[in-house]
Amino acid sequence: MNGQTSHQQPKDGRHDDDTALTEFLASLMDFTPTIPDELVEHYLAKSGFQCPDTRLTRLVAVATQKFIADVATDALQQCKARPAVIKDKRDKQQKEKRLILTMEDLSKALREYGVNVKHQEYFADTPSAGLDPASRDE
Amino acid sequence: MSHGEGKDKFLSEKENLQSMRKKKKLGKDEFAQAISRNMVAQVCESLGFQSFQQSALDNLADVAVRYIQEIGKTASSYANLANRAQCNVFDVIQGLEHLGSVQGFSGASDFRHCLTRSGVVKDIIRFVSQADETPFVYPIPAFPVVRERVLDLSFSQAQETPPDKHIPGWLPKFPDPVTYAELSSSNEKDSETEAVKIQQVEQQNRRAERSLLNWQQKLMCNESETGAVVEQGDAAKAQRAAENNPFLATPLQSRENEVSLPCLPARLIHESLGYGYHQSHEVMENHVQIMKPSLQASGAARSGPCELEERRKIPLIGRANLQFKVGNFKKSLSTVTKPQNNGTERTSYWFGDDRDEADEKNDRAEKILWENTEYPPEVSNV
Repeated sequence: MNGQTSHQQPKDGRHDDDTALTEFLASLMDFTPTIPDELVEHYLAKSGFQCPDTRLTRLVAVATQKFIADVATDALQQCKARPAVIKDKRDKQQKEKRLILTMEDLSKALREYGVNVKHQEYFADTPSAGLDPASRDE
Repeated sequence: MSHGEGKDKFLSEKENLQSMRKKKKLGKDEFAQAISRNMVAQVCESLGFQSFQQSALDNLADVAVRYIQEIGKTASSYANLANRAQCNVFDVIQGLEHLGSVQGFSGASDFRHCLTRSGVVKDIIRFVSQADETPFVYPIPAFPVVRERVLDLSFSQAQETPPDKHIPGWLPKFPDPVTYAELSSSNEKDSETEAVKIQQVEQQNRRAERSLLNWQQKLMCNESETGAVVEQGDAAKAQRAAENNPFLATPLQSRENEVSLPCLPARLIHESLGYGYHQSHEVMENHVQIMKPSLQASGAARSGPCELEERRKIPLIGRANLQFKVGNFKKSLSTVTKPQNNGTERTSYWFGDDRDEADEKNDRAEKILWENTEYPPEVSNV
């Protein structure tokens, strides 16, 4: 972090980066992430992360929030991209689509991030549900 | 589609979910999971979602929790790799890079880059500058709450000497003798309460006994209305007397109680096999005073289905001498007296706890036989 070199520019560059980071960490204390600190601390402690510095917990919180926001944005785009099912009688008015976070959109969005979430489409009552009558007789 | 309306709907949905979840049994991590669900819902709502599927929210919340845990794990492993126990910012950045390598970030291919200039950090900085600051709606206490344990004092701490030499002083003290000694003053009270309890139990037993035998009496009285049945006035006393001691019961006149042939229907036997105690009453109704007092007392003293096991072999054709032996709590050996009649003697078990297949065959044979006899089973007695 405190790289002492003879060259001026790299030193400045590095210094800028360092200052940027320190400033950022300091600014994190002003910014309140949506994820509460207690929750993050709980799960970090569960996984063995030990640090008394609250700026780091804020950093983790912000990183997680960014991750969820990215996933949710992708899911939202998937939802908007899907053609609307409801047909409006009034063609003039734009179709108002209810933006619902569905499993379908979520699994597609998460796949980009390496998370495979497979969801059952439906559950059947009996083993023979949905079969042809011919095969059911067997 | 105003943002305000969406927010209200969202919050009401959250509240509904919360109230629904209260009814569920809470596990170890329920609190944190609930908070994570709320948090994810809030993030989604700030992006523009109006509602969500329950399973989708649960999944996303689970993913978020795992992300946090993954960062913690990776960061701590990087710290341990660097011979440290506590993590610092570079461990965290390395962890974020590790997790972000799937999606990719700027400068990921440059493995020699300085961590402060890492692409992930820049992304985060950009995100913070753009995002709306929406803090979590509910104030959360620090959890998990650690309860302070009050440890017992040791012998040395309490400045007491242990009673015996083999007990070291660093062990906790023995509890006060007051806590485990029985006081003499409380004994009387206990005995009094015990006596009261015993009385109550006895009363209950008597009531049960009475009700059961009332029913039995009613069945008997369907045929004859005499001696054994008393008017309502003295009914209770007389019945009690009769129930407790058959010798005190009013004697029967001759031909007073017309007892029908004890030809109990085979079907009845078969149906009621295995009911145990209740069956005994249906049997008793046809045999008036042949019951032993011990049977009555022991049978009636127990309310409801009991473990009384009786095995009686009763010849069904003709009026034969009936004798049975009753065993309590044990399977008794029963003796059968040969009837004087020479008719085909059929025996049946009232309580078929240990029936053999051969006996079952016999019963079936009985059934078939009975269908063709002169004396059809009289069901009206029952």
